[in-house]
Amino acid sequence: MTAAEDEETMRREGWFVTAAGVVGDLGHPFYDEERQRDVWNEASAVGLQLMLWLTLAAATAMVWLGGAAALPYAVAVVVVDGAAAGVTVGYARRLGVRVEDVGGVLRLRLVPYGVLMVGLLVGVVRVAPPGGFFGGFARGMVLGSVGVVLWMVVSGMRARRRQGRDGS
Amino acid sequence: MGRTSARGRRNGVRAARTAAALTQAELAVAVGVTRQTVVAVEAGDYAPSVYLALAIAQRLGGTVEALFGEPSEADRPGGGIEEEAAL
Repeated sequence: MTAAEDEETMRREGWFVTAAGVVGDLGHPFYDEERQRDVWNEASAVGLQLMLWLTLAAATAMVWLGGAAALPYAVAVVVVDGAAAGVTVGYARRLGVRVEDVGGVLRLRLVPYGVLMVGLLVGVVRVAPPGGFFGGFARGMVLGSVGVVLWMVVSGMRARRRQGRDGS
Repeated sequence: MGRTSARGRRNGVRAARTAAALTQAELAVAVGVTRQTVVAVEAGDYAPSVYLALAIAQRLGGTVEALFGEPSEADRPGGGIEEEAAL
């Protein structure tokens, strides 16, 4: 994307940014004070990450403790997590901030996510019924998750190799 | 450390404010921020936006360069991280 296109994208807010502003109450006078806004943004980032960890842990516990009966609830939690993360990334992207460097995302801080994700997926495979909507959904979730993780690892390694070549 | 950090950069806001006989609360009201923000700016814990820096400089009768232009220890030639590492 060119600089002119970036500028145009940021100028044209659109319904998504408007709706997100209403959800986040971003027009509140609290955000007028710049340090309050910055600190609150940092606090929100901490809260979002913690919420993602805790809800992923809750979904994993549901599958392991509740078995097949808990599968729909665990899937619902994962879908809600995905929606929240998607809106976060989408909002930033809409305003010209993109997480394009996958290599920079691959860090040790992702280990808790990885451990919880593996626990959840193994639990889902263990309890998923052979057929039906949730059986198919669970298998699709496992395959999709493995695909995303593989894509992140391969993209990250490529990005690091590219950075290494550029830096040398 | 958060994004709002100024990474310990020194500035002359406290000296200029006391020279102007203003309290932190009075300066905060004058530039439209909270007193905590003035405290954070003076302590070098918060890097103000260019607009806030301009407002502070204008209220204290100085320039942004004079208030915030002093390099941090790490930016000085022969100072900072390299010098510490050599010790």
